[in-house]
Amino acid sequence: MFERVKDVNLSTIKEIELQASKYPDAVSLAQGIPDFDTPDFIKRRVERALKRGVVAKYSLSPGLPELRELIEESLEKENMFYDWEKEILVTAGSIQGITATVMAITNYGDEVIIPEPTYTSYQEVIKLAGCKPVFVPLNEKEGWSFDIEKYKKVITKKTKAIFYCNPNNPTGTIYSKKQLLELAELAEKHNLFLISDEVYKDFIYDEKKFFSLAELPELRKRVIRIFSFSKAFAMTGWRIAYLHSDEENIKEIIKVHDSLVTCAPVISQYGAMGALEIEEEKINEFKERYKKRRDMMCKRIEKLNSVFSFVKPDSSYYIFPKINPEVADVKKKKKVVDSREFAFWLLKKSQVAVVPGVAFGPNGEGHIRLSFGRKEEDISDAFNRLEKLFL
Amino acid sequence: MKFILKIFLKYYLKVITKIVLFIHKPVVVAVAGSTNKSFVKKEVKKKLEEVGFSVRANPKNFNTEIGLPLSILYLPSGYNEYKRWIPAILKAPLKIFQKKFPDFLVLSLGSSDKGDMNYLLSIIKPDISIITNITQRYKEGFSDMNNLVDEYQILAKKTRKEGVLVLNIDNYRVREVGENKKQKILYYGTNKDADIFISKIEKNKKGQKVSIKQQGRKKDYQINKFGEHHAYAFAVGLAMKELCGKD
Repeated sequence: MFERVKDVNLSTIKEIELQASKYPDAVSLAQGIPDFDTPDFIKRRVERALKRGVVAKYSLSPGLPELRELIEESLEKENMFYDWEKEILVTAGSIQGITATVMAITNYGDEVIIPEPTYTSYQEVIKLAGCKPVFVPLNEKEGWSFDIEKYKKVITKKTKAIFYCNPNNPTGTIYSKKQLLELAELAEKHNLFLISDEVYKDFIYDEKKFFSLAELPELRKRVIRIFSFSKAFAMTGWRIAYLHSDEENIKEIIKVHDSLVTCAPVISQYGAMGALEIEEEKINEFKERYKKRRDMMCKRIEKLNSVFSFVKPDSSYYIFPKINPEVADVKKKKKVVDSREFAFWLLKKSQVAVVPGVAFGPNGEGHIRLSFGRKEEDISDAFNRLEKLFL
Repeated sequence: MKFILKIFLKYYLKVITKIVLFIHKPVVVAVAGSTNKSFVKKEVKKKLEEVGFSVRANPKNFNTEIGLPLSILYLPSGYNEYKRWIPAILKAPLKIFQKKFPDFLVLSLGSSDKGDMNYLLSIIKPDISIITNITQRYKEGFSDMNNLVDEYQILAKKTRKEGVLVLNIDNYRVREVGENKKQKILYYGTNKDADIFISKIEKNKKGQKVSIKQQGRKKDYQINKFGEHHAYAFAVGLAMKELCGKD
């Protein structure tokens, strides 16, 4: 019974949130939810669709043609060229797109390499597909970058794909073009797929450059790129995202997509159309506010430098500080802090919810993830509590 | 209040736009159809600019009763904020006296309900009308497909008599629009009878190689984009060059 899901775990993030909900005054820096509401422009687009009576029926399985056409146009602006009719698939959130992709490209017993720490659900999806997640640690000393030599060591005959998040959640790292090209070279050599989850690509600070392997036409059969409307447009609850790749891959992925959801929620597809028609200044407005919050959070963590050390993130809305084992009031004998124990202890002592680093992979142990997607007041309140606890 | 502002804007912008068009007399190219309007519009703009014309095209979804005049006048939208409309309202009359106006306006027209096309064509009178295709998209705004096709019939009828219709020959509903029309018609598509005949589309690593026969000459083109719709958009671009006597 339940053989398929016996090794699949519920996300630790949700577990922490559930526990935090039991404390009436808890402040959460755990889940990656933007505190902004969906912009009015998107809501009005959806209201119009509702009034016209066009949201009640299924759309075509890959999504509304008008939405896919808009997606193709938006990709063009980012130097990516994909055919909306055959190469773009609208999904019910990125995780559904990821699930459909992993299930379509792997066979039972295959291995998928994940550079970690990274988003918690990747490994669960891989396990659900009957495959084995193979972790490759990111190099914290080099700003959480790739170490290509480590990939070479873990590739086996069973390796089917390398699955990375760029910019990375929870470290906020943007992988350099050079590193990504090295990864592509490796993928070419060993005939591997590259799954690139780029949901945070709109939140890049300090004029840092972003590059996607999906920009290279010679890699289009190898790269499957995923993007979600959740973060960029404050639409986490709408469950709407898309993926794109060469038609050879999409025609296989769509089979799983169709079996899972038939199509993405049509009402949300209209929301996504509103998002793509939106003025760019709205996204920049979000970005500026996140940057302000990042800087604010960094300053507050610096005050706690006897407890935490951290790499300033270039992107996303997370900081991933390392816990100083000497100060943390748990498992004092261990060199690395048990981040899970620490997170629950922190919640109990200060009612501040954070995500234990181990949830993002073994290399995340000894760290916690803090989200600056939350309001300034919440961030301030949480750090007041932490300072009271540690200083 | 919002409703009154919308009505005011609609007619205010319409009047000014008509004056501007009367004074500056640009060549108006209308692009209509269920899909591929945007790519065709971009391709037409690109081709016209390549041969030295100045061109203005409407951005994104600026193809409705207020969006269209804003595009012609090159004014920003205030969207849903009253204050943001003030600059557009103040700047609009100044456009009448603008010294350099583009040679061409390439405008996509959106029609999702019966009567939309009629209204848009009360603002502009196209010299050239391109119809990309007609599918069931937006059918919900019409009682049946014939009603939807009527919108395109109106566009064809209201295109200047000495003007040109550029029609996708592969879509039989679009072909219907071309029947019994007084204007010159240029057909494009994969049907051998097309004036701009796409004889072959071959996908390659960088995009697609497209073979096109036009005015008795066959030529291969490399398009660095994927999807047959780009071959169609490219063919429309060639049609525009032909019309301008540049190819």
